[in-house]
Amino acid sequence: MADGAATTAVAAAEAPARPTWRRHAVRNRNIAVGASILAVVILAALLANVISTHDPRRLNPAQRLKAPSAANFLGTDEFGRDVYSLVLHGARVSLLVGATTMILTSLWGIVIGLIAGYYRRVDMALMRIMDGLMAFPAILLAIALMAARGPGIGNVIFALSVVYTPRTAMLIRSTVLTLRELDYVQAARALGRRDLAIAFRHILPNCVGPLLVQASFIFAYAILAEAILGFLGVGVPPYVPSWGNVIASGKNVIREAFWVSLFPGLALTVSGLSLNLLGDGLRDVLDPRLRVQ
Amino acid sequence: MGRAIAVVSLALLALTALDAEAQKKGGTLRVGILGEPPSLDVHWTTATITETLGNHIYEGLYTLDATNRPIPMLAESHTVSKDNLVYTFKLRQGVKFHNGKEMTSDDVVASLARWGKQSVYGKALFAQVADWKTLDKYTVEMKLKEKSAIVLISLAVPNNFGAIYPKEIAEKFAPEVKATEFVGTGPFKLAEWKPDQYIRMVRFDEYRPRNEKPNGFGGGKTAYVDEIRWQPVPEVATRVAQVETSELDFADDLNLDAYDRLKKNPNLKAIVAIGNGWLIAVLNKKEGLMTSQKLRQAWQAAIDIEPIMKNVAGGHREFYRMDSSLIMAEIAAWHTKLSGLPWNERNRDKAKRLLQEAGYKKEPVRFMTTQEYKWMYDFALLTKQQLEDVGFVIDLQVVDWATLVKRRNNSKEYDAFTTGIGAIYDPAHVNFLTASWPGWTTDEDILKLQADMAREVDPKKRMAMWEQQTRQVYEKVPIIRYGDLAGLRAIRNTTKGFDEKMGRVRFTNVWVEK
Amino acid sequence: MTTYLIRRLLTLVPVLAVVVTVVFLLIHLIPGDPVSVMLGPDATPAQIQATRQALGLDRPLHEQLLKFYARVLRGDLGQSYFLDRPVVTALLERAEPTLVLTFSALLVAVLIGVPSGIIAAAYQGSLWDRALMLASLLGVCVPGFWLSLNFIYLFAVRLGWLPAAGYASILADPVAALRYMVLPAVSLGFNQSALIARISRSCMLEALQQDYIRTARAKGVSQRSVMWVHAFRNALVPVVTVVGITMAILIGGAVVTEIVFNIPGLGRLIISAVLRRDYPVVQGVILVTATAYVLINLMVDVLYVFIDPRIRYG
Repeated sequence: MADGAATTAVAAAEAPARPTWRRHAVRNRNIAVGASILAVVILAALLANVISTHDPRRLNPAQRLKAPSAANFLGTDEFGRDVYSLVLHGARVSLLVGATTMILTSLWGIVIGLIAGYYRRVDMALMRIMDGLMAFPAILLAIALMAARGPGIGNVIFALSVVYTPRTAMLIRSTVLTLRELDYVQAARALGRRDLAIAFRHILPNCVGPLLVQASFIFAYAILAEAILGFLGVGVPPYVPSWGNVIASGKNVIREAFWVSLFPGLALTVSGLSLNLLGDGLRDVLDPRLRVQ
Repeated sequence: MGRAIAVVSLALLALTALDAEAQKKGGTLRVGILGEPPSLDVHWTTATITETLGNHIYEGLYTLDATNRPIPMLAESHTVSKDNLVYTFKLRQGVKFHNGKEMTSDDVVASLARWGKQSVYGKALFAQVADWKTLDKYTVEMKLKEKSAIVLISLAVPNNFGAIYPKEIAEKFAPEVKATEFVGTGPFKLAEWKPDQYIRMVRFDEYRPRNEKPNGFGGGKTAYVDEIRWQPVPEVATRVAQVETSELDFADDLNLDAYDRLKKNPNLKAIVAIGNGWLIAVLNKKEGLMTSQKLRQAWQAAIDIEPIMKNVAGGHREFYRMDSSLIMAEIAAWHTKLSGLPWNERNRDKAKRLLQEAGYKKEPVRFMTTQEYKWMYDFALLTKQQLEDVGFVIDLQVVDWATLVKRRNNSKEYDAFTTGIGAIYDPAHVNFLTASWPGWTTDEDILKLQADMAREVDPKKRMAMWEQQTRQVYEKVPIIRYGDLAGLRAIRNTTKGFDEKMGRVRFTNVWVEK
Repeated sequence: MTTYLIRRLLTLVPVLAVVVTVVFLLIHLIPGDPVSVMLGPDATPAQIQATRQALGLDRPLHEQLLKFYARVLRGDLGQSYFLDRPVVTALLERAEPTLVLTFSALLVAVLIGVPSGIIAAAYQGSLWDRALMLASLLGVCVPGFWLSLNFIYLFAVRLGWLPAAGYASILADPVAALRYMVLPAVSLGFNQSALIARISRSCMLEALQQDYIRTARAKGVSQRSVMWVHAFRNALVPVVTVVGITMAILIGGAVVTEIVFNIPGLGRLIISAVLRRDYPVVQGVILVTATAYVLINLMVDVLYVFIDPRIRYG
């Protein structure tokens, strides 16, 4: 599945075919818009304590299920918690999970990909394990891992990292496999440079591009996956403000108080949008030749 | 001539009545339940869903009337010896099992022997039984080791109950193994079980109802509908939606927030099922922080129960009841109305003082709950905030029900957990006042009084003991009692004859309008 | 090409072996005990132990693993603790709804995605193109489960056009089956339809750029026949492979959809099995879905080799 023709086809298909001048304009716009929206989300998360109107964890039973108003901008949930403050603080969890997962999968992916690409003997075994892990639909594997490890933000990050690392590892490995054969790398090896040095000087810099693209999409998947896990009740503990948890709590009162599920869902959509735009833009920027066929 | 007219009119009247009865027959009832029963073997589990379904296909020697007192079902009558140590039961004759066999004393002895080894109530009763045998085809004798106040009530309790199985089935399956064949004497029989999709029960045509009028769970039970289709619908929002759109005729365990909307729907009736149970926080008295009586008393003093109940009840006054009695009002025989109990004192100063006296140093109290029963999670979360406001530090551990049920048997894993206490029909059955149930109530005075009550046969004396016991419980605080919580059910208008007052759902004497 | 195929098939074995081992290990890390749940809250430790022994849960881990391998190879996935029947039976009983849901969602994704992408490509740069691409971007980002909730609220509760939840078998009652399947299939297929739209558009554009298309147009062949005859067929190649991957993604997405819409399929089964600690069923579902995923990818790779004459793996 790693060398599968299918992934190649998708990769090729995703590269849009437009005249160069148009390309520049569009890709810059994608990156610009994506990055700005993401910046707003990150800012909101960082300033959550400052710009929230209430303590998101404070229960206020007398004010349950109130519609959006001046007192509660986005209304209240079934315990009287302020939805606006919940969404802001939820951004912290989502971004934390997304960013950490992205970083961890990149790191592990680089390590595994490098080792697999460089050392043929280990490659076989590693790739079969990666293939095996990728055979599980991501959410099912995450559910099973969360059930095994229990709730908690650390465990969510762990579960999602395990689920998404194989994809990054494959990508790095492909890059390594091509780059190995290039002249200057061969030369470096002939000159006796150590493998690690070669990795750092020649190979890794060329991985940065595809890695960045992959990372933005993983960030997006991780945010969504965290929300799904929370929604199913196997994510962070339910009283921790997170978008998935709030949507889940709003699910049962959707007719009486549709705002509870609405706003975190919008927040999720907007965050995913920004990251997808960013990823698209970055992918346009990169020369498709850098991605290995 | 006048006489002839009278006779004819009477005959016509009777015929119309019969015809009306006949018209009621038929149709399928589709019922939404909150999950799959772990089994239909009622001897084997206390699960409520098994109880509800099981009571349609099985019957016991006794059952409960509308005041929750025991009345005969499969038994015809009983006599008690002068020394109160020998009970002789006469069985009804000509009662058929679903497989055509007639019920006799052999079936009764085999079934109740199995029940006595596995069921909570069976074991409580059989601990006092010396001998249990058949006298003749329709008579059974029970010899007790000591006087017991709980014979009939134990045989009548509908949960985990002494259902009469055919002897062959009772002997085929060991008590700790789930039976997989389900044959009873009830007005419905099991037709098909497709897990996660439906359980179908059809009318048992050879059922002969008792002559009395329907009375609580007993009396004459008639199966009007041809079929009951129990459908597991785990998502509560879906269950509500399906009864609104008439995909279901009846749905139980609905979320209380749906009440306002359901009330407005002209096609169905929203039923407030008070007497469903009450909320309890069980405290670990074997080891850990809650071994300190002062800490327990601090918890009891700190909480303000009404806002908690109101929130759990979705804001509706009808759905909760403030009551300090340890047995619910619906069980009239044991309902207490005591005053001066330290229940719902909402005394924060007292709580803070008790915390200080207990030498509490802000160690986290591990409080286990689950989201699978939303009301448990709700009252746990609200309690956490109230307790933290007086100085407790609460570590709220939200797990799934399976984990909670496992962990609560291990005294190292928690300090308190949430659950609900359903209908308890006799003080001797109060599980949280035993040394073996999670929480481990080992206070000698409490245990002694429980034992004495089981042996005392005079009802007035028993009630006095029960009141004394209630006072003890509020002083020593083995558990924290919150308020009573109602359940929400919805029934479509085309379904008639449903007895709303019954604590548990029964579809005997219910028919579907065409 | 044959060597490639054979090599590809052989990689199945170690991959599936890893899958089976991971499945086994996962489940035995899960806390909570099925026997306590089954027996109810008042079971004594002695009864729990007796039942556990009866079900074989007290043997050491490596023993259970070896037994597991042996059984899987025989096609025996064990006995469900909760449902009192072989796991294989439980899976077969629930396979139909999940398959119907997945295929319906795929149909939705393709029927909406492919035409949208092609139309956008045909009118590249126009308002249509931009609107469609915006819609597809949103489509990729909207969380499927959130969409389900909103659909139920809008179409079932407020408008009353469709049922809120439930399932009817196509074999039993096709009309009802269709009504129940609309909302779930659309909310599940929505994300994928957006993805397919974007990819179809890209492929179409790329195909339209090809030299021979330009030659054909220069020769004066009409726009429509150029498009439909040449470009479409070529664009289809990568689209077919994407559809294959989509299938695999949908299997995972079905879990949440089944929960929200109360569809008695494998997704709902695994969630309730996890909650009830019904180990054999959890293992069975994950094993089956992972195997399906592997096989689908294999088929897609093989199909791709056959469809695209330009690719030949030595």
